[in-house]
Amino acid sequence: MTTTESTQPAISEEFLAVWNGRLTIRVKVAGAGPPLLYLHPAAGLAWDPFLTQMAEHYTVYAPEFPGTSVGDPYAIHAVDSLPDVVLIYEEVVRTLGLSAPVMVGQSFGGMIAAELAATFPTLPSALVLLDPIGLWREDLPVANWLTTPPDQLPALLFHDPSGEGAQAMLAMPDDPNEAAAATAGMVWSMGSTGKFTWPIPDRGLRRRLHRIAVPVLVVWGREDSLIPVGYIDEWQAQLADSRAVVIDDCGHIPQVEKTSETVAAVTEFLGQPRKVAP
Amino acid sequence: MKITLFEQAPYRYLPDDFEQHYESVCSTPYSLTTRDGVYSSVRDFLDELMHGARAGFDGVAVTEHGQSSYDMMPNPDLVASALAYMTEAEGLDVAIYPMGRSLGKAREPLRVAEEYAFVDVISGGRLVAGFPIGLHYDAAINNGIPPVEIRPRFDENLELILRAWSEEKPFPFNGRFSQYPQVNPWPRPLQGTPPVWITGLGNPRTMQMCFERNFGFNYLSWFGAKLTGQRIFDRFWELADESGVERNPYRVGFLQTIAVAETDERAEKEYAQHLEYGFRKGLGSIPLEKLAIPGGIDIRGVQALAKDPSDFGLYLQMRGASFRELVDAGVVICGSPATVREQVGDFCRRYGIGNLHAMLNFGSLPRELTMRNIQLFAEEVAPSLRELWRDSGYTHHWWPERLGGKPTAPTEGGGATEGAVDTHTAARTAVHA
Repeated sequence: MTTTESTQPAISEEFLAVWNGRLTIRVKVAGAGPPLLYLHPAAGLAWDPFLTQMAEHYTVYAPEFPGTSVGDPYAIHAVDSLPDVVLIYEEVVRTLGLSAPVMVGQSFGGMIAAELAATFPTLPSALVLLDPIGLWREDLPVANWLTTPPDQLPALLFHDPSGEGAQAMLAMPDDPNEAAAATAGMVWSMGSTGKFTWPIPDRGLRRRLHRIAVPVLVVWGREDSLIPVGYIDEWQAQLADSRAVVIDDCGHIPQVEKTSETVAAVTEFLGQPRKVAP
Repeated sequence: MKITLFEQAPYRYLPDDFEQHYESVCSTPYSLTTRDGVYSSVRDFLDELMHGARAGFDGVAVTEHGQSSYDMMPNPDLVASALAYMTEAEGLDVAIYPMGRSLGKAREPLRVAEEYAFVDVISGGRLVAGFPIGLHYDAAINNGIPPVEIRPRFDENLELILRAWSEEKPFPFNGRFSQYPQVNPWPRPLQGTPPVWITGLGNPRTMQMCFERNFGFNYLSWFGAKLTGQRIFDRFWELADESGVERNPYRVGFLQTIAVAETDERAEKEYAQHLEYGFRKGLGSIPLEKLAIPGGIDIRGVQALAKDPSDFGLYLQMRGASFRELVDAGVVICGSPATVREQVGDFCRRYGIGNLHAMLNFGSLPRELTMRNIQLFAEEVAPSLRELWRDSGYTHHWWPERLGGKPTAPTEGGGATEGAVDTHTAARTAVHA
């Protein structure tokens, strides 16, 4: 396994017509090997070094949530309910022709991945959840990222906002027009995903988690200040077959802040990738 | 020109250093209040509105802000119904103007239709029905609505309300946000459909909807009309031209905070501290992240604001704004009757405004000073302003018939949601490139 900086692979894009043609889902695809479906967090899809390393052993499919794709913001208005979101993602997997993909979800994407695996227990082969949202405990409130002032977001997301991975993720374009477009895109993405997390990011997932029938790896940053590491126990209490890895000196986005440790945990959990089925 | 007295019900006894420690909405500790302070703030507010009704204003206007220290008004219909009865009993021909119930917030839209209908009946047909889309903190935080859903919910709720008022037979309503097996409210408004007014902050889609649907458009100058007025009203009238709608000033309402005393010097001396209180501890203490929550502002609006936040005017500096800054930005107009007549008149003439909402109480302004502000405005300022547009040839189609208007019914058209997807209730709106 390599943990050194990898060069970005060739990323292609597919546009999938789903939901009876009412939605066009943009999917970024890279790598070779068995399928890995990556579901992005609330602010939209960013291709990061973790995905690059996953693409060395897997074909990574990263669909963009409705409303988060550049140029197609109003797709969010075509999606009414969380059950519909789950069915839309199932259509995406089926339209891509993926057979038993590994599913990896980060934060909001973790919640969607868990919902998908609970609704369609035979869809994935394994599930990796990176600091997933979706559960709620009165004594451990999840931070409201949608009303966090922009200047406080880095500290909410990262244990060390000055770290290399954090800085790369937080960097904005120099050109003011591009920066405004990037800001607007990120804000709208948070608004689009927020349709299914506001006002409390708990849509009853706890009652459905027992339906997940594949092994689950739950990875958490020990210093996650958006959703505290204590939630790991909540997930494990409901999941039939789970493992947990807590990463030290790490906030809400382990695959960015502690890429090597995250890749190591995921790789160990998934084992040697299977050969692609003929 | 029609002139209403607009008031909020601020808590008037907040500590001097409030804005350094607290926000004015959602999280404000109620322990800052006293029983007597709350009672007198609300009681005086009602007395002041009645004073306005008796002093000859064309209407009395209030609006809705939940969990707010600058306007303790969770439902304007409570006040509207009290004013409706009092004015009817006293024979005062003034519009009852809730500006009003936020439909992006409303989870019980049929109740809004019922409340407005009842107020219209109490008032004998003097209701003007205002529907703001909804402030983000109020709709999203106070009422749990996902920000991206505020506008679609507004659209659906408005369709239901207009239909509930106008359909003769009971009907089932199968909406995305509410479902009713039978809609048949009793009573209906005496006016049939009262004049409908929408409050907006500058989103062109909202303006467009007003043209398409024959609604009035209210712009509230909280951010400083000298900074934002030209941008907003130029946008409004250019869109009117594009829509083939005549530049009838009566389709525009404009809210302005005004403080009038015998002389300019006396006005500043008496009002400055209360104006500073009002804006520093009110709007200025609503943090941006509660006024603009992701999903609530259209993506192109966010992009425009990220490049040029001018639509926000003085808002971003308001928490520490001085009297002079408030005046210079046009957040307030303060002075002698002559000064106020000239400044307000110029503004309304320049931007084609046919309805003025004069906000004459603010912040900590005590009852006696508010009463005098109302009296002076009614006697020394309103009479000349009222003449504006009288000979313009335009007809006021957005005002109750009983009060001299010639109201025309809403028309078919799109909603307030850019890129809305077809539902059976809201027509698809155009997506501009």
